[in-house]
Amino acid sequence: MLAFLPQQQQEPLQGFDSLGQLPPAASTFAPDVDGLFYFCFWISVFFFFFIAGLLVYTTMQNRRKTETQPAASNVTHNTPLEVVWTLVPTIILMVIFAWGWKGNLDQSIAPGDALQYQAIAQKWNWSFQHPGQKGFTPGEFWVPLDRPVKFTTHSTDVLHSFYVPAFRAKRDVLPGRYQTVWFQATQEGSYPMLCAEYCGDEHSQMRAVVHVVTQEEFDKAPWNARPEDPIEWGEQLYNQYCTSCHRADNTGEIKAAPNLWAIWGKEEELEDGSRVPVDKDYIVESIRYPQAKIVKGFTPGANKYNAGAMTAFSSALIPDEGIDAIVQWLQTLKD
Amino acid sequence: MTTNVPVADVAIEEQPKENYLNCSKGFWSWAGTLDHKRIGVMYLIGTTMAFLTGGIFALGIRVQLWSPDGVMFTQETGLAGYNQMFTLHGVFMVFMFIIPAIPGALANFALPLMLGAKDVALPRLNLASFYLWLIGTGFAIYSILTGAVDTGWTFYTPYSIQTEQSVVSMGLAVFILGFSSIFTGMNFIVTCHKLRAPGQTWFRMPLFCWAIYATAILQVLATPVLGITVLMLAFEHLYHIGIFDPAYGGDPVLFQHFFWFYSHPAVYIMILPGMGVISEVVSVHARKPLFGYRLMAFSAISIAVISFIVWGHHMFTSGQSEFVMMAFSFLTFLVAIPTAIKEFSWVATIWKGSIALTAPMLYAMAFLVIFSIGGLTGIFLGALSTDIHLHDTYFVVAHFHAVMMGSTALAFFAGVHHWWPQIFGKMYNETLAKISACFTLVGFMVTFLPQFMMGSQGMPRRYATYLPEWQGYHQVSTIGAFILGTGFALMIGYLVHSLFAGKPARENYWGGATLDWKTATPPVHTNFDEDPVVTTDEIYDYSFLSEEKGKA
Amino acid sequence: MSHAVLETPTPSGGNFRPHKVAHHFTSAVQEFQSLKLAFWLFLVTEVMLFGGLFAGYYIYHEQYLETFVACGKLLNRELGSLNTIILLTSSWTMAMGVRACQRSKQREMINWLWLTVLCACGFMVVKYFEYTAKFDHGVFPGSFFAPDETYAPFFEGLLHPNIFFSFYFTMTGIHGFHVLLGIFAILWLIWQGGKGRFHAGFSAPVDLIGLYWHIVDLIWIFLFPLLYLVP
Repeated sequence: MLAFLPQQQQEPLQGFDSLGQLPPAASTFAPDVDGLFYFCFWISVFFFFFIAGLLVYTTMQNRRKTETQPAASNVTHNTPLEVVWTLVPTIILMVIFAWGWKGNLDQSIAPGDALQYQAIAQKWNWSFQHPGQKGFTPGEFWVPLDRPVKFTTHSTDVLHSFYVPAFRAKRDVLPGRYQTVWFQATQEGSYPMLCAEYCGDEHSQMRAVVHVVTQEEFDKAPWNARPEDPIEWGEQLYNQYCTSCHRADNTGEIKAAPNLWAIWGKEEELEDGSRVPVDKDYIVESIRYPQAKIVKGFTPGANKYNAGAMTAFSSALIPDEGIDAIVQWLQTLKD
Repeated sequence: MTTNVPVADVAIEEQPKENYLNCSKGFWSWAGTLDHKRIGVMYLIGTTMAFLTGGIFALGIRVQLWSPDGVMFTQETGLAGYNQMFTLHGVFMVFMFIIPAIPGALANFALPLMLGAKDVALPRLNLASFYLWLIGTGFAIYSILTGAVDTGWTFYTPYSIQTEQSVVSMGLAVFILGFSSIFTGMNFIVTCHKLRAPGQTWFRMPLFCWAIYATAILQVLATPVLGITVLMLAFEHLYHIGIFDPAYGGDPVLFQHFFWFYSHPAVYIMILPGMGVISEVVSVHARKPLFGYRLMAFSAISIAVISFIVWGHHMFTSGQSEFVMMAFSFLTFLVAIPTAIKEFSWVATIWKGSIALTAPMLYAMAFLVIFSIGGLTGIFLGALSTDIHLHDTYFVVAHFHAVMMGSTALAFFAGVHHWWPQIFGKMYNETLAKISACFTLVGFMVTFLPQFMMGSQGMPRRYATYLPEWQGYHQVSTIGAFILGTGFALMIGYLVHSLFAGKPARENYWGGATLDWKTATPPVHTNFDEDPVVTTDEIYDYSFLSEEKGKA
Repeated sequence: MSHAVLETPTPSGGNFRPHKVAHHFTSAVQEFQSLKLAFWLFLVTEVMLFGGLFAGYYIYHEQYLETFVACGKLLNRELGSLNTIILLTSSWTMAMGVRACQRSKQREMINWLWLTVLCACGFMVVKYFEYTAKFDHGVFPGSFFAPDETYAPFFEGLLHPNIFFSFYFTMTGIHGFHVLLGIFAILWLIWQGGKGRFHAGFSAPVDLIGLYWHIVDLIWIFLFPLLYLVP
């Protein structure tokens, strides 16, 4: 299911296939949220069947059988009844309010000793920085079991939302402002993280994976592992960052941006008619400063995929060695 | 004309009498009409067309979601088309159907009749509202032709600033439609204040009038804020004034505050008229006075007032302070109380009545059932901690469809079926109408119950593709959407058929007690042959029905 | 059935025309009250519309206090004050026009209305000079904000001065648009007034457009100190 990640990182996700159940409750505050959810649920079930039952019962009892049949009762007021059906819902609602507020305080206030993470959202991928990590890991992150972790998030373009259903944690990620979200995972496993705030064409593809691991495994810093082979690493970077706009196959089809198949060494025509050879300088410039040279026909809005401008990738997201790897991989793309 | 024309004896008359439909003919007698009833009919046609257009987009959405990788749009072909589809579904349904439908079509027809007035207070303004609606719709269609918007109906910044230029024309469409709505609201407030029949005190107005009055207050107070918001959004897009754009020092969340300051009251602009329709329908078809009339009237007004201070509950994950979130959550629960009172009062109205399972009554009962779902699931979303999990998931989608589609749209159709004989003097095929009502209820449940389930599992909204775990729910939901579509297609079929070949409807078809039924069917151009006078507090007194027939 | 068409009393003198009460009203008083209530509601929507802008202004004023203080000083207080005086005068001439109308003084009313139009045009001319003085130095709204070398030093070290000018141009621009609408509405009054439609028996349009004009004035009374003086 996590086809957007390289094969070795795919692991089954638990708990999403049982009918009508909440996802696994894998954080400290999740059971409390679920408790309130089921409390509301059973109250709703009661009132729904109560109302529907009254309607069905009275319809069966008091169906109009002759044209002139008057109502069985013409009562228009019943003060005790009206007081009851005002007060009882009020009391129930206040209980739910207080419970929800308490739960929300748990959700929003992180313990002081939480591990500090960073998350950057941009159209349409996530990058994460673990405590002590230089640079960012795209598309997945690791958290230790039973320890609070706190994310400071920001977006480089539009609104996104950091949402891990299994942790019942969600926070919008905004451009120009830092937002935080925290949780403490209580169950080992891998869980999907989704973008919950509409952000454009590939909003639904903007996913990541959360790995909850034991402390020993966490101490091995799995985020630093990268393929030995630079070509493999280059392809991995392409899969993580570029596929939402670029294709790299010999079909000749394009998406929002040029197809990367066999472009190494050829010349690209720019909007002003000048030509530029696709060499390492050009690749570096296109990743770091994508607006510098735009290939003819790919200015924002020029084709049917409604492309906006390409996002710039800083060295925090793709280090210089990463670009070397991408260049090596690009050279392999030819007939 | 004299003041003492004898009331014609309806029983003997064979030739169709003169009424507002046949009193003048030709295109301009409609296009230039100042008669509130004709304007209502034009709104009825216009908003129903918008509903059908929005419905086609809805079916498109459901088809796309049949498979996790998308059916019509996939990653290979680009997903932007899906985003345009759900945006247009939202914009058409919200701004062109739900907001204008009941006030524009049903209240335009019935409100002056219920008040015993000859017209709304400002007939020219009324016609202008309709034309503004047409022009606004024209701009919306223009924006589709020039690239279509893909921002969602909420136009959240900064995405809406960066996307295509057609956001500007769509913003203009919303601005114009907003003023159409404002003018309608102004007209109804003045009509309620100044044109009530002699003897008709405020507490002798039918509850539909109270609901429309409460709605009109919201339309007048909240809609201008939407106007200035979309105007600033258009400026933002054209000149990058930077007020909502972080790149220029602006705050994108401020847009959300502005937007929801209008759009939360707008939710009640949508549902309050529906509540009014249901009040009338259950009373007439259960032949029983409305239970708790005063409390019902006060709940309508208090819903209108409280709805102004709950907008923040749309933004629990946007990063408001803990205190603000607590306050908005608390106020949200307050607004639930009058809503609960209304639901119980309708059930009490039907309780031990003389219940006729007519088509309007079936639609009204479907409303009561679905509205209870909509209201109860609102509790999950008003509570802070559960909302954090459910926010922007299909749970929210299903919740507001229960309120907007399952309640307001069904109330609209209940009202259409209820007043149809009075509007057109023709009767539709009742058997088909009952079948269609059942299709709607079943279709709603099949469409939206799976959405509640996958929403609580975390399926986010506005997804063109999704994790395969949710495919089963999506497929059931798609089947439900087609059941709904069948029900509505059937309804349009027999309603149109009845216009041409329907049986003439007898006077006061359902036996209503309010003034809208105490005139000819259909009414004459000036509404009443004799100016009505209200002499009693018992405006929902149905005893005349059993007495008359008893004498005969 | 419906009663005979009601007419309000028409004063003698001048070329006054009778006013027919619309068919759905039972008295001229009811008609007048309805129009008036509707118009007040319309004014409420105007207040809400500008209220959104004022709220936005307030929020950014708090957020970028220094910027707003510094940029406010760049606005021309003398011209602003002149415009305030012009607009206040026009409110007075409008009120006098309404009074003349209610006393059925046709010529007098039209003269007062012409004076109001004159003031309104004067306001727009002053605005023109204020705007061009800013545009000449590259002070445009939003992304076109590119101050030239004389103005650039003012903005050094300020956070987002473009936001202040976005508000300045948006708020005064929308206000100016209302002034323009007002000019057209008053010209219409002069045209119809010349035909004798407005008199003591039917003064609603003059009364109501008068109210509109006062609201336009009132909004300026809030805009002027907020933009020009508060800093």
